[in-house]
Amino acid sequence: MTEGTVNLPAVAPHRRLWRDPLAVVVRFQSVIGLVLVLVGGIVFSPARHGQLLFLAPDNIANIVRAISETGIISLGMTFVIITGGIDLSVGAALGLASVLTATLMVNLGWGIAPTLIAVIAAGIAFGAVQGLISNRFRLEAFIITLAGLQVARGLALVISHNQYINISYGDTPGLAPPAFSVLGERLFSNTVPVATLVFLALAVVATFVLNTTRFGRYVFAVGGNERAARLSGIPVALVKITVYAITGFMAAVAGIVHAGQFSFGSPNDGAGYELTAIAAVVIGGTSLFGGAGTMIGTIAGSIMLGALANILQLNNINAALQLLATGAIIVVAAVLQALVGRREGSMR
Amino acid sequence: MSGLLLEMHGIEKRFGGVHALRGVDFDLKAGEVHALLGENGAGKTTLMNILSGVIESDHGTIRVAGMDVRYTDPREAQAAGIATIFQELDLVPGLDVAANLFLGHEIAKGVLGRFGGLDGRRMEREARAMLADADVAIDVRQPVGDLGIGQRQLVAIAKAMSHASRVLIMDEPTAALTAAEVTHLFEVVRRLCARGLGIVYISHRLEEVARVADRVTVMRDGLVVGELPATAPQGRLVHLLVGRPLDELFPPRGTAHGDALLKLDHAGFFAKRARAGWQMPEDVSLTVHAGEIVGLAGIMGAGRTELLSTLYGVGPRGQWRGKAEFAGKPVRFATASAARRAGLAFVTDDRRGSGLMLRQTTGHNVVMTVLKRISPMGLMSRAAESEMVVQAIRQFDIRPPRGDLVVGNLSGGNQQKVVFAKELLGGPRLLLLDEPTRGVDVGAKAEIYQRLRALAQRGLGILVASSELPELIGLCDRIVVMRHGATVAEFSGEVGESTLLAAANGEIREAA
Repeated sequence: MTEGTVNLPAVAPHRRLWRDPLAVVVRFQSVIGLVLVLVGGIVFSPARHGQLLFLAPDNIANIVRAISETGIISLGMTFVIITGGIDLSVGAALGLASVLTATLMVNLGWGIAPTLIAVIAAGIAFGAVQGLISNRFRLEAFIITLAGLQVARGLALVISHNQYINISYGDTPGLAPPAFSVLGERLFSNTVPVATLVFLALAVVATFVLNTTRFGRYVFAVGGNERAARLSGIPVALVKITVYAITGFMAAVAGIVHAGQFSFGSPNDGAGYELTAIAAVVIGGTSLFGGAGTMIGTIAGSIMLGALANILQLNNINAALQLLATGAIIVVAAVLQALVGRREGSMR
Repeated sequence: MSGLLLEMHGIEKRFGGVHALRGVDFDLKAGEVHALLGENGAGKTTLMNILSGVIESDHGTIRVAGMDVRYTDPREAQAAGIATIFQELDLVPGLDVAANLFLGHEIAKGVLGRFGGLDGRRMEREARAMLADADVAIDVRQPVGDLGIGQRQLVAIAKAMSHASRVLIMDEPTAALTAAEVTHLFEVVRRLCARGLGIVYISHRLEEVARVADRVTVMRDGLVVGELPATAPQGRLVHLLVGRPLDELFPPRGTAHGDALLKLDHAGFFAKRARAGWQMPEDVSLTVHAGEIVGLAGIMGAGRTELLSTLYGVGPRGQWRGKAEFAGKPVRFATASAARRAGLAFVTDDRRGSGLMLRQTTGHNVVMTVLKRISPMGLMSRAAESEMVVQAIRQFDIRPPRGDLVVGNLSGGNQQKVVFAKELLGGPRLLLLDEPTRGVDVGAKAEIYQRLRALAQRGLGILVASSELPELIGLCDRIVVMRHGATVAEFSGEVGESTLLAAANGEIREAA
């Protein structure tokens, strides 16, 4: 580079990384991990009639369907974690949204559009209120969303009287509009699950918002240095409330998808989804300290976790081992990040 | 018998691709203060980190009192009587002073000691003795978090002194101290020397070095470039430091001033809720014209930072009493963004804490204040952003001249330039500066002064608070002195240091 030339600014927060192999690995750790898992899946896949089960269209459809709900949630979680926050309420919010959806359509006879609008509005409000409280009283998001988890679960139990609300389809009262069942179906000659399409569509939007909008940059700024962001005139409180509204929105959509896929609203569903989503985000290379992360990493992280679970299931490896494998992967991802962080810190 | 307490020979260290130390020799006699000078990144701190066992050298030998040593852990160095006062204070805010002084060396109490019981009373007593030894008057039961940064520094110094039996390394010990505290510290330093300790004194402040040191070693780019007696003329030291003669550290003063931008007339701030440790502006009278650089002097706690923060809308909520006008309109900014919209900008005294996103790039940092302007309809315009970044980097000569490097890896001086570039990109009319060159090396300081003057000549008004009196005297057109939240005197820029000091301590009252 000659004196006086100025390189164009990077869009991603870490662009210099090509010179540092370890940093490159971390930046693309989830993609690398995903490739490794897919290769492993093919190698270890049981075969039937000469065809690898792992690559069977039905199996692939299963994987992408299974990850759609936690995937949707992890998209919102990425925004929150980049601001340096966390949202533990999303799994319970998913359960609440599924109950609301079923109740509105089955018990109250609402149509699809009003139901979706109401549930999504409720999700956004639920998230925004948590953001508002944690902001106003300067409370850790951890504690507020932990409370939010309990509240959402409690509300779901109250509304559903602690029972599954079955959704049957038809045109008479007490039955949901048949079109809603599309969420449980597959399109394109029965190959691509609709739930996955919802996830993909939201993933595209979330990537766009994070990478190319002013709001996306605000999110990085708030997580990068909140005080500096405030002094720079960035509306920090609004950004922080908005990211929780986004997780609320994503949890509501995931809850609707859940109700559609399984044709019931269940107050206890979604438990632990928040942890899967956080795992996907962390594996995706987003820093829990805030200020750094990518949406594409989160998406790859989600798919990777789903594919891993699938391989283990195909090989009849029990659920306990699946948990161990997931735990090990999170540790590896976190250690890699810490190594890069230490290297960057070593100079000064 | 060489009489040398410490000898370091041919010390080399690499960090990744950076050759931080390229064969450095350094020695220290008992009872002397040996100053180590160098710009940021010259390798002073790395050298001392090697001596104190924080990091290991790649090559080279260290002899302490004639014995070859190689410390791999700070505790080993401490045990050998080598103590360091670090730039970044290693104190725990939640614990009280006594607990901090004994952190890691707690005194156990009799039988209970086996179960972790501590002798709090004895520790308090000894802590009091340690502070008395360093001549520091602070209650040992006060939580460190309640202390001002200057007092914390004194506690850290007392802590290090208690471990130092041979060598005490002081890395920028006066960065946060007032002039009186500095004088005090130097007395303590001299007493320690008389006891036979050797002191390595790292500083950016040449005038301090002349006051306290016996010898000066200057480092540049990982090498020792010269060793001089401390009485050497400053010009020669500066030449060695930056590798070129610095004709003038300060640019010539301005002449033409425009209209009054900021006008405070017996202005005070009435906060709805008091904030602990905050000296609210009580009775402030000063005017900053366009094109003028006005200095704010005062001892710590005089209310300089509070005045700037309150003007900028980031202090406690409340209201101004008296007359407080900016560009002819009453000042009442509830948030930083309101202040910024009106044309204010603020460089705080805490670059890392409230200035920069250290883990993000130079580009991302500088455009932070102008995001709205480069994102029509809420979408970031890459072209507009690059243009801004290029402009910022050129204007402040940020090195390396790239927008895509992580700011945390730049030198302190260049980090500070990024802060300035960020604040000025929006084209403010009045720039508020709080300790604008803290932790910045001489070369970068001179550059910053020159750019500030150039900006003033184009009509920017600048209000700068600083504890470095030479900086205020060299840079400012006028200097206003604050004490207990009120302005007590005003001088032209030609005032002497002692006059300013006397006014800051309430010994002179002069009509503005």
